[in-house]
Amino acid sequence: MRQIINLLEHDFRNFFRYKWWLAGLISMNLADLFIMAIVYNRMLTPEITQQIKSYFNFFAPGLTVTGLFASAFMIGREVNMERRREIHQYMLSLPMSRWELAIGRVLSGGLRGMVYMSPLLATCFILVGFPSPAQFSIILLVLFFLAMGISGLSIAIAVSTSSLDKFITARGLVYYLLFFCSSVFYPFSLIQQLGQEGRFPMALVTFARINPLSNASDIIRSFLLGNPPFSLDMVVSVLVFSALFTFSAAFAYIKLIERA
Amino acid sequence: MRKVFLVVERDVRLFFQYKAMVIMRAIWFVSQIAFFGLIASRMVVIADYFRYYVGGLATMTLYSAAVFIGFDIYEEAEHGVFEYLLSLPVTRRELVLGRSIGGGLRAFIYVGALICISLYVIGVANPLNFILALFSLFLFAFGVSGMSITLAVAIKSSDRFDILMGVLDALMVRLSTAMYPLNIVKEANPFYGWIANFNPLTYASDLFRWGAGVEAVLTFENPLLPLLGIVLFFAFFTFVGIVLYDKRIEGGGWQ
Repeated sequence: MRQIINLLEHDFRNFFRYKWWLAGLISMNLADLFIMAIVYNRMLTPEITQQIKSYFNFFAPGLTVTGLFASAFMIGREVNMERRREIHQYMLSLPMSRWELAIGRVLSGGLRGMVYMSPLLATCFILVGFPSPAQFSIILLVLFFLAMGISGLSIAIAVSTSSLDKFITARGLVYYLLFFCSSVFYPFSLIQQLGQEGRFPMALVTFARINPLSNASDIIRSFLLGNPPFSLDMVVSVLVFSALFTFSAAFAYIKLIERA
Repeated sequence: MRKVFLVVERDVRLFFQYKAMVIMRAIWFVSQIAFFGLIASRMVVIADYFRYYVGGLATMTLYSAAVFIGFDIYEEAEHGVFEYLLSLPVTRRELVLGRSIGGGLRAFIYVGALICISLYVIGVANPLNFILALFSLFLFAFGVSGMSITLAVAIKSSDRFDILMGVLDALMVRLSTAMYPLNIVKEANPFYGWIANFNPLTYASDLFRWGAGVEAVLTFENPLLPLLGIVLFFAFFTFVGIVLYDKRIEGGGWQ
């Protein structure tokens, strides 16, 4: 356990070295909320206005989730860099088991995401409304598991790509697919409607439904805005994603880092 | 003049070595059209919003590709290539002029392919208008590249430059008509509308839409006004870039 804490300390120190990058990311997130969301608020169709009431309120939970995603994904870049510069040999020589090393990396990636996301979540609560203590606990738990899953996903990509170019390209694909094919920016009903009209492949509609970013955003919305209604399926979807990627990433990290 | 061309050629070649950046921008562009553009057009009341958005997307991509020259300068400073460039038989002015043109040209070449995709989606109504719009985008790309060089040599700190460009990108794109019409921005917040009115990205986006025939919600009735805005933007940053680069290029101090 102490070794994992040491690893967390190491990764958190690294995280705060990117303070400029973090400040830039926060300013971009806030610009999205305080400029883009406010302007889109004025452009909604009457049907969408009836459904979501305000785009600003609708988008604030989605923005929190995208912030969590981007920051939890940063651990992958570091792991990829360690692999390219062969620092992983040093990591393997540390007095800790392979599992402690792997779980520690996934955990630190997830916790860093939670730390970055906290001010965004607080902003969302202040502007949109506060959940009850029970709802707040569920939101935190879901976001923590989501952060772990994202961190695992980024580590899995980082150890399976040999160059920075390939890592960045794979990251771009995952980023944009998960961001845009989700209910982060728009209600799921629109994606469903396009699917029913045949303008959007049904496989992508299903993907948007089970996308953990959709479910995490919708859980926060269901507690703060009452729409969409809360369902246990949303939590299960995030938990399955998290379990799948946390353990497969830990396994891949151990196997591939030894082979590298 | 031949020396300026050599500098331009080097910068264009350098750009296409960043395969990841080139591929990622292309993925971003296509996913924005296929997902965000398509779905968001169902969410808003703006007529023909899908074509409107695709037009803005082309200029957003041009902007972000042209900005990249500043990051090249830091990369060169970090690896000591700067000293090598200074030792070449090229005057400082030729060097900065070449870099500014190279930065804009490579962005334009790269975005050319993406503009073709945009045109496939939105079409071209009047070829003459479109040629004028392309010319203005050309100047816009040079201007942005000059702005990036100016800021890079003025700041001389890669961390600060990184954050400044991030913030600038966020504000330039969102406070422009790249994503939404000016009258809606003004309605949402008059201050945002006032800034968007003077944003070169607004001029470039509107001129591109005008050239492609997406004229449903244009900011300016007379296309010469945004063209004049772009010419001023280009002239200012090319001139300031040359002067500043000339003055600050030597003496190290890069962080």
